[in-house]
Amino acid sequence: MRLSFDDDVEAFRAEFAAFLEANLPAEAEAAERSRSTAHLPAWARRWQRRQFDEGWLLPGNPPEFGGRNATVIQQYVHREELSRRRICHSFNPQGVGIIAASLLSFGTEEQKHHWAVPILRAEITAALGMSEPGAGSDLASLRTRADLDGDHFTVNGQKVWTSGAHDADVLLAFVRTDQDAPKHKGISVLLVPTDTPGVTRRPFASYTGPDDKDFNEVFFENVRVPAENLVGPLNQGWRVANGSLGHERTLMWLGEAERLEAVVRDFRPTGDLEKDWYATLVMDLQALRLLGSAALARAARGEQDVPALSVLKVFGSEAAQHALEHVLEASGPDGLAHPARTAPYFHMSFDDDSASWFNRFARSFGGTIAGGTSEIQRTIIAERVLGLPRR
Amino acid sequence: MLFEFDAEQRLWQDTVHKAVLKECPPALVRAVADDGADPTPLWRGYVDLGWTELTDPADAVELAIVLEELGRATDPTPYLATLTRFAPLAPEFADPARSGTAVHSGVTATPAGGGWILEGTSRYVLDGDRADRLAVVTDAGVFVVPATAVTAARTPAFDPVLHLAEVTFTQVRVGTGDRSSADPARARHLALTGTALTMVGACRRALDLVLDHVRTRRQFDAPIGSFQAVQHKAADMHVAVERARALAYFAALTIAEDDPRRPLAAAMAKASAGECQALVFRNAVQLFGAMGHTWENDLQFAVKRAKAGELMLGGATEHRAFVADHAAGGVS
Repeated sequence: MRLSFDDDVEAFRAEFAAFLEANLPAEAEAAERSRSTAHLPAWARRWQRRQFDEGWLLPGNPPEFGGRNATVIQQYVHREELSRRRICHSFNPQGVGIIAASLLSFGTEEQKHHWAVPILRAEITAALGMSEPGAGSDLASLRTRADLDGDHFTVNGQKVWTSGAHDADVLLAFVRTDQDAPKHKGISVLLVPTDTPGVTRRPFASYTGPDDKDFNEVFFENVRVPAENLVGPLNQGWRVANGSLGHERTLMWLGEAERLEAVVRDFRPTGDLEKDWYATLVMDLQALRLLGSAALARAARGEQDVPALSVLKVFGSEAAQHALEHVLEASGPDGLAHPARTAPYFHMSFDDDSASWFNRFARSFGGTIAGGTSEIQRTIIAERVLGLPRR
Repeated sequence: MLFEFDAEQRLWQDTVHKAVLKECPPALVRAVADDGADPTPLWRGYVDLGWTELTDPADAVELAIVLEELGRATDPTPYLATLTRFAPLAPEFADPARSGTAVHSGVTATPAGGGWILEGTSRYVLDGDRADRLAVVTDAGVFVVPATAVTAARTPAFDPVLHLAEVTFTQVRVGTGDRSSADPARARHLALTGTALTMVGACRRALDLVLDHVRTRRQFDAPIGSFQAVQHKAADMHVAVERARALAYFAALTIAEDDPRRPLAAAMAKASAGECQALVFRNAVQLFGAMGHTWENDLQFAVKRAKAGELMLGGATEHRAFVADHAAGGVS
């Protein structure tokens, strides 16, 4: 446990800060905004690639994968610096944080270089194809099927909620490859380039506005996918899914911490009741940071403790939701205005972070639903952290 | 900051946990509550283990680990009062063999013949009936007096293992040699943090007891712990404990490193421990069903200790008000 770090860690921090100072895109350069979580304007590609080339994108990785073999504590300090400055290191967060990370854990050498590196260097973007119309919380009941036929799979079925799919170059798709096996045992993972014939993507709007299109339906109709695009062993996709979900939950709680931090910054409480809400928010943020730092340290050491991440996910997302609900209430009639800006525009963050209080609150349900609902997280905590019996 | 025990702290935690299980088992707490067993040998055991020497602020995290474990065990000794109330008010008077507590209100000091006369009564003094020494906060400073100089009467508390007392100072003469240079405001940070850690430990114990119960109790041909309504209440308890525990150790860490955030961290620790005990008390008693209402069930010791902590040194609402006033722009 430590509040401060040794000199060598602080030197590392200073080196990264100097890199940011010298390389952060100027505001004018970043005028074209990202329209989805897999859309990278040219400046955002240059920014991400620069970090990759200098070993700052994922510092814990070896240089060939965008890092510099940084220690656990150095990786933590790197995140602190990004978050303190409200800087997104990638505007394709799932591509870098989930898909490339899953490929580096489970992919072949060929897949790491052919797919993970281009995603990390922002040459291409990626989206995560997990949920289906009939497979949300019960992910393992997914029905999109892939039949192996010689040197290729033929994929048929449908995904939904596939964030950014219409802007992505490749999907990491979870498919059923054994129709007869128990549901967790017949799943495999495929890399599906989105320009493959038979792939249809249909973005649709969220309830915050008709132009807010990140969600997608993705349809697969006799899509031929080369057999070498199989990630991990055939029918062992559930293991990959667990790893990916772990990455996703890590990404999510980090996002919630940033949302809470933004509310601390942007909320001006008046009166005793609003101050009481504010104090809760400050405590939630601090506790999330503390618990999260321990989880990051475990992950950086390679310890897989996916169930423990459910604590961070449910706590962070519900804390952000409560905070935003209170801040919206505190905004009074001003909160009715739409669209409105509740914080200064900041070009290195997603624009949602400074949207109206209603939008910020409305989006908080992404945190309590996506990546496994709060209800599912509580069941995971009960059964896999606390050891209660399954039904 | 990095919130993870290092190897030495993990070893210490393991050592303390095992020692507490051995020295202060549930049967001993039960014997103290039901038969009036004397916990003095247990206190001497802590002295022998060196736990009463953890008075250097630099050891605050190691002390925190002991306090959390003793909170889990419903420690029946004056350890909490000695290490977190007395010790920070009287650093020059350290004596690992003797217990102590603090008196914060109700006592006046009147100058007399180069010294002072202490006069007054203080209520609900933690371990005021059995501590060897008292550190008394007055307008003229903090004085250390032996228990023999005052009269004390134990006040029955809803926590049957907790000692509270009404302490009366009648013409107690003290001199400059009895005066401590400690700052009561700073001493309070450790008092708050120590009580928060005790509450966190007690809440963990309540959760452990509930988990044992719902794993074994069967209704509708299934362990009730397999029902989602029960599981989700247990999960909420776990999340609340983790949150409060993180903030309690953060407070200990700010004391160990004399970080400027220590007043804020202490308030956050006490507030979150208070919020935690509210949820844990409610869910624990509810999930135990009627069994949780019985005297023979040890759950009472854990939830009463947690609730008692909330009623000492200011509750969650009071501390949240402090946090709001002192955390403009956040914690760091």
